[in-house]
Amino acid sequence: MNISIVARLIWKDWYLNRGLFVGSILLGLLTLGAVATAKGAFLPLILGVIVLATILIGMGAVLMSSMVNERRQQTLPFVMSLPISYLEYTVSKLAGSLFIFFVLWLALLLGMIVTILLTPWFPHGLIPFVIIMSVEILVTTCLIAAVSVTTESQGWTIGVTQVGGLALNAVGFSIVRLPGIRDSISGSAVHWTSTATVLLLAEFAVIALMLGTAFFVQSRKRDFV
Amino acid sequence: MTDLSVQFTGVTKTYPHFTLSDVDLKLPTGSIMGFVGANGAGKSTTIRILMGLVHQDRGAVEVLGHAMPSQQAAAKRDIGFVSEDMRLYGPATLAWHMEFIRSIYPQWDALYAQDLLRRFDLKPAQKIKGLSHGQRVKAALLLALARRPRLLVLDEPTTGLDPVARCEVLGELMAVLADEERTIFFSSQNTLDVEQISDQITFIDRGRIIDSADKEIFLDRWRRLRLVLPPDTTLPRLPGIVQVGGSSRLPVLTISRFDPAMVAACQEAGASVQAVDSMTLEEIFIVNVQSRREGAIA
Amino acid sequence: MNSSIVISQSDGRPMYLQIMEQIKQKVAVGEWLPGEEIPSIRAMAVTLRVSVITVKRAYLELEREGVILTQHGKGSFVAPDPGLASRLYDGVLAQHLQQVVRIGTTLGLTTENLVDRLRDAEAHLNAHILEKETL
Repeated sequence: MNISIVARLIWKDWYLNRGLFVGSILLGLLTLGAVATAKGAFLPLILGVIVLATILIGMGAVLMSSMVNERRQQTLPFVMSLPISYLEYTVSKLAGSLFIFFVLWLALLLGMIVTILLTPWFPHGLIPFVIIMSVEILVTTCLIAAVSVTTESQGWTIGVTQVGGLALNAVGFSIVRLPGIRDSISGSAVHWTSTATVLLLAEFAVIALMLGTAFFVQSRKRDFV
Repeated sequence: MTDLSVQFTGVTKTYPHFTLSDVDLKLPTGSIMGFVGANGAGKSTTIRILMGLVHQDRGAVEVLGHAMPSQQAAAKRDIGFVSEDMRLYGPATLAWHMEFIRSIYPQWDALYAQDLLRRFDLKPAQKIKGLSHGQRVKAALLLALARRPRLLVLDEPTTGLDPVARCEVLGELMAVLADEERTIFFSSQNTLDVEQISDQITFIDRGRIIDSADKEIFLDRWRRLRLVLPPDTTLPRLPGIVQVGGSSRLPVLTISRFDPAMVAACQEAGASVQAVDSMTLEEIFIVNVQSRREGAIA
Repeated sequence: MNSSIVISQSDGRPMYLQIMEQIKQKVAVGEWLPGEEIPSIRAMAVTLRVSVITVKRAYLELEREGVILTQHGKGSFVAPDPGLASRLYDGVLAQHLQQVVRIGTTLGLTTENLVDRLRDAEAHLNAHILEKETL
């Protein structure tokens, strides 16, 4: 794996999509600010989180667009004429987009946790749920990334984004009903249960599985351009 | 044993509506091969397999000593590729592209790049999306040429260029060959260009290589014989007659393996030879394809 | 050495023949002197924008006719033969004379007719030169 050339490719994607990235970060921060000032009523909070989640996923899809665009804008032959293997290309795409998203995501997650801890309106028991749901957003975004890089199709990426968004809501509502979560969610202390641990581990496993599958599919391709 | 820059052995690739069959190619280092074929004949597929961008179903491909597509990353370090359907990044400038390429390839020659900018009449500060088609092609060529790659692979490099730009590009391509360690493989529908600068010429039609030889051999082997046949005389039997045109009294024979002795043979058979015309590469190509499609050629 | 050879695409003859003819002309008029170095095959190909293989063929034929010499590793030179230029020019004259005879035969002229026409042409040319000198 030629790290320097993968780094160059990632830099290229960041440079070409810099407007998109900066815009996404600003939007995310604005949304965070809006939720932080929602003054504690539970329903607005849940709505705010859903809105935040949707926006995050939307941003994720936009970030993944760099993969679809190479094919759409016919720049793929140019990129593949560089001294890289298709594996290095895939790594640069996934690493580049997911890294930015991850930084953004982490910032927002930490922002939410800090908001919950420092403001008097939110019960601290929310924190495990917030962490699990945030990682769920990460899962959805990894799914979009995997689909985007393997299909290189805008149609599929948009489709998966919409399905992912809906699935996220469904998953959120199911998790909130789980005994290990429901019981401590409105408590004033952070209570990390074994249910939470299992859920978290499952989510990471799914992420690993999806990325692994993406790499596998890419390695089987016989027509790279 | 000549040093080969490119070698295809029995390469086959099957698509739902098109098959590239049994392609054999040998490109010696220091020479330039023109690849001629109709639209859809398989030129682009062959070039993509050469670049490792498409994996062949059968057969071996070796480029600059590297097996393709498994060693494509190493091979592409020394290959400059420009294809007609390739696009650069619209919102970025030419200068950005030049800097991007320079950061990846240590062999980038900045002075030569400046020289090419001047000769191709390109402005580095201009965004790619603002360039005309011809300018985009020249920009892509500049990015490939300024690295001084050992092998240049070009898919339709002069298509869509105005006559002056074409002349410039051909001049630059020939300048590459001043170094006998550098090789060029290009596909073109412009048979005049191919005829002028190629050392070797390969014809492809419907996924098969139909002819491949030194340019001078092609031009020597093919002739049109214009005969006058007196009444009650039959056409002389000559090997390698590919097409018979004209009328029954004034036949025109197109021959793929001409020998001066054929002129005497015609006269002995009673026909008088009005003219022995050489043929342009375009005429040779068209006749070659037509007769193969009709199943006539030996 | 600036190569002022020009290849015409509309000329029906093969490119290697055009190259040969122009090189022979350069030697014939003394633009390239016996023993002088001439551009290498590759350099000539680049200047003319013509394939190396075509130039190689031209050089090979010229070598066979004794017009040039190629020394491996050293380059190509005009044959060091002082009589070469006039021999080549003589060859050009012979070609023109053959043309004259061919056309004359087609027109049905006799040898005497041709000689008369030759004298007329000479006179016409001299008059023309005189005219230019008096201007």
